[in-house]
Amino acid sequence: MTDVPPRQSPAPEEQAGGAADTGHNGGNGHSPVTVEFLSEWRNAAYNCYSSGHKFCREVCPVMQVTRNENHTPTAFHANVVAMEQGELTVEDVAEDYVNCTQCGACELRCPNTLFTGDFYRFRTRTVDLVKRMRALAVDNGVHQPGYQRWNELTDERSHEPVLGDTPVSQEHVRDWAGGLDIPIGGETVLFVDCEAAFYRTSLPRAVAQILRRAGYEFGLMTEQWCCGGPAAEMGYRDQARRFAEHNLADWRAAGVRRVLVLDPHDYITFTEDYPEFFGDDFDIEIVLVVELLAQLIAEGRLTPTVPIERTITYHDPCRLNKRKGVWQEPRQILGAIPGLTFHDVDRVTQWSYCSGAGAGLPIERPEIARKISENRMDEAAQLEVDTLVSACPWSERPLAEAGQDRAIDVVDIHELLAESLGIDVGGRTRA
Amino acid sequence: MTIAPELSDQVVSELADAVGGQHVLTSKTARYNRARVPAPFPVHRWAERVPDLVVMPASTEEVAEVMRIANAHRIPVVPRDGGTGLTDGAVPERRGIIVDVKRMNDVKAIDTDNRTCTVGAGINMLKLNEVLAPYGLLYPDDPASYPCSLVGGRIGTSGWSLIGSRYGHSRDLVLSFSFVLPTGRVIRVGDGGGPKVSKSSTGYQLKHLFMGHQGTLGIATEATLKLIPKPEAELSPFWAFPDYDSAHQCVQKLAHAGVATFAGAVLFDEWKVDYLRRDDEAYIPQPADVRALVCAVAYGNADEVRAGGKRFMRIARDAGARYLGDEISQGDWAARHDRYATPLHGRTRAGQVVPMSWHCEDSAINWTDLPQVRLEWHRIADDLRRRFDMFDDWGIFAYTSAATGVDYLTEIDIGIWEQELDDESWTAWVQAKKDIAEVAVRHGGSISACHGACRDGEVDLVPVELGGAFDVMLDVKRAVDPNNIMNPGKYLLDRAYETEVE
Repeated sequence: MTDVPPRQSPAPEEQAGGAADTGHNGGNGHSPVTVEFLSEWRNAAYNCYSSGHKFCREVCPVMQVTRNENHTPTAFHANVVAMEQGELTVEDVAEDYVNCTQCGACELRCPNTLFTGDFYRFRTRTVDLVKRMRALAVDNGVHQPGYQRWNELTDERSHEPVLGDTPVSQEHVRDWAGGLDIPIGGETVLFVDCEAAFYRTSLPRAVAQILRRAGYEFGLMTEQWCCGGPAAEMGYRDQARRFAEHNLADWRAAGVRRVLVLDPHDYITFTEDYPEFFGDDFDIEIVLVVELLAQLIAEGRLTPTVPIERTITYHDPCRLNKRKGVWQEPRQILGAIPGLTFHDVDRVTQWSYCSGAGAGLPIERPEIARKISENRMDEAAQLEVDTLVSACPWSERPLAEAGQDRAIDVVDIHELLAESLGIDVGGRTRA
Repeated sequence: MTIAPELSDQVVSELADAVGGQHVLTSKTARYNRARVPAPFPVHRWAERVPDLVVMPASTEEVAEVMRIANAHRIPVVPRDGGTGLTDGAVPERRGIIVDVKRMNDVKAIDTDNRTCTVGAGINMLKLNEVLAPYGLLYPDDPASYPCSLVGGRIGTSGWSLIGSRYGHSRDLVLSFSFVLPTGRVIRVGDGGGPKVSKSSTGYQLKHLFMGHQGTLGIATEATLKLIPKPEAELSPFWAFPDYDSAHQCVQKLAHAGVATFAGAVLFDEWKVDYLRRDDEAYIPQPADVRALVCAVAYGNADEVRAGGKRFMRIARDAGARYLGDEISQGDWAARHDRYATPLHGRTRAGQVVPMSWHCEDSAINWTDLPQVRLEWHRIADDLRRRFDMFDDWGIFAYTSAATGVDYLTEIDIGIWEQELDDESWTAWVQAKKDIAEVAVRHGGSISACHGACRDGEVDLVPVELGGAFDVMLDVKRAVDPNNIMNPGKYLLDRAYETEVE
């Protein structure tokens, strides 16, 4: 499924030749954890610093809005070099790293990825760097107020505070499934992210009812917590790990072998963060629902027949298209729905698109996030569509808000498929 | 010599009034990340080039106000566009104010009748062409930095385009531009006075003067550009040769053929082929008897490209070339043209792979002198590598600059293990650059066809190359920038302000 799987850079091993022994990575007044970070990241940072091409810049959704060179992936790498040289400290750089949705476009557009990527499957790891730098800041006691508050609330309530002043809580995490009689536990469980569980409840209801229509058996978790991914993205790694341990323990206790994921952000967390936390012990199969549904359609187990008279375009969620190389299956699903007029934009052009909703950007920089959403909907408006279809619940709230001014509906792909299957989904598309 | 005074609160406050407080950046990251370009520089000397602050104006008027403030306080100003240049134009040598134009990236007008567009100087060509695509139009300024360099920087460096042999280079494609002088005065510079005129005989032809100055005369803020119909077809045949001399002969026969769709030709020398074979993962290995390569590129209407392509194939075959096939031809041009790709690693003399940055020294060389220049340049690179095991010779490309084959952008690519650069090896590198430039000048060429020539090393030879014209350059500089606030330290222009010693 993956075009260019992320991989450890070959650089540290293959390009050693004394690079790690040149004595430049001394303390420079940095804390021990910073020194360790710099020794881990110095060669990767030099790979960017030395080339300095900046191909990443115009494809970056944040840079397209701010036009500020120190919000660029190039700067994120160069700062590491400057810290190693003793010119900058983690206090100097930390705030700049909020200006990232971790969409991964920069990695794909990087000449180092494009060129050696074909051969070595190498990929520049800017997203990882941003996550690690945010974590380094937290480890050094440098907090961004919005992130800190968000993660405190998440920690208190075991879910993200997606409803604003309205508290979310463990007692209500399965409310979305009301009336559907979904069992608890089993070999396969459906994991529902915080946004879909509390805000866009129509989405998990659609998924659950489609799977039931196909005869695909699944249950719900005994006690589902937030996946922990947002905490990891914002630098609160200890919290992320605690949440991961809770969820894994819940799966283990119920004998779960397989987890269905409807949210691309969870998919990243379960396929990248959890394996990193738990190593080879993590043997749970992670299934992306949008891929599963495409397969069920291909096998003839689902046949959408109700025509949907809409003129649509499809928004490639960053974490599917750019991070995981998943772009064919959503189009296969849309291709199976009768009645649609589909103005598609190819996945490479969409490298420079983003909803703005990723990695906590709307928490610390809501005005930038909003502008990114508006830019995305401006692109859709040029296609003269009445509907934008997404496959990511986190993108759908901001895009829907931006779509209102442009008379464009934002619809979730799972909900659209359910409609074409004649399912009356129920639930809410907003709080 | 103009050096930034400590910027007073008064100055910062005036700048904030001019561009808005949030667009005056004083953080260390804002300043450090505008202190470098892709050209190598010893990392331990980074702090030497850090500006005092950065402003990000949104309009010509705001730039003019910043200039007036800077001129009144005698503060150095360095314009920064893409910051992708290879001669340090966007790097401050005497601190001061960086005027970063990236916010001025709007498309102001598209004139399909006269085939022009008017844009802010901070727009990138790839992004511009995304906007032009629905109109079937293209802005064909196509440098290696196409995905990231900006129109204003192309004006400031007088850029060179890969397909310029057909469509022209930046100076041909930019019809006119708004230009803020160091005093804050705004003028429109073009061929004559009309903003959309491509050929005028009115008055002095100032357009060339205000292009390629590396930010030493002022700041371009808005430009009107010439557009072409988006080409229907691209052809990029690659041919292999058993020796350099036959490839050298062939490339000029292709340029001489007079094919209208000819957009450029590239000659790879033996060192380049060796390097690609050794370290370029994207290079599809060829038999050992392949010693040199030639590529020709044609763009235009499909029927015309097809007809021209047949002629190219016949010419190359008669010149002893072996065609490498469609797959390699298309793939290799895509890799080299669309991706700006170099492997970004080289080797020590012992063969150890190490991370290296790519640097190319570029010159304009006549076709007749290419073989000899190549040998002399490789001797310089070889000597450098022998003494310092952090340089690697990555070979020479020569690209046609014009359809007639009169001169070639000739570049020797040198891999530099930048992490290892110390003062001694840096001094040797600067001397090597000077030696490379000396060869170009001695052979009747020009130090730079593309990047500019204001870095340490080659800059010393600029007065030699230009002769009496350099004295006129000094006169112009003094007249336009009486207080030497524009990018001081570049191009030896401090000499314009030296008082004669009795």
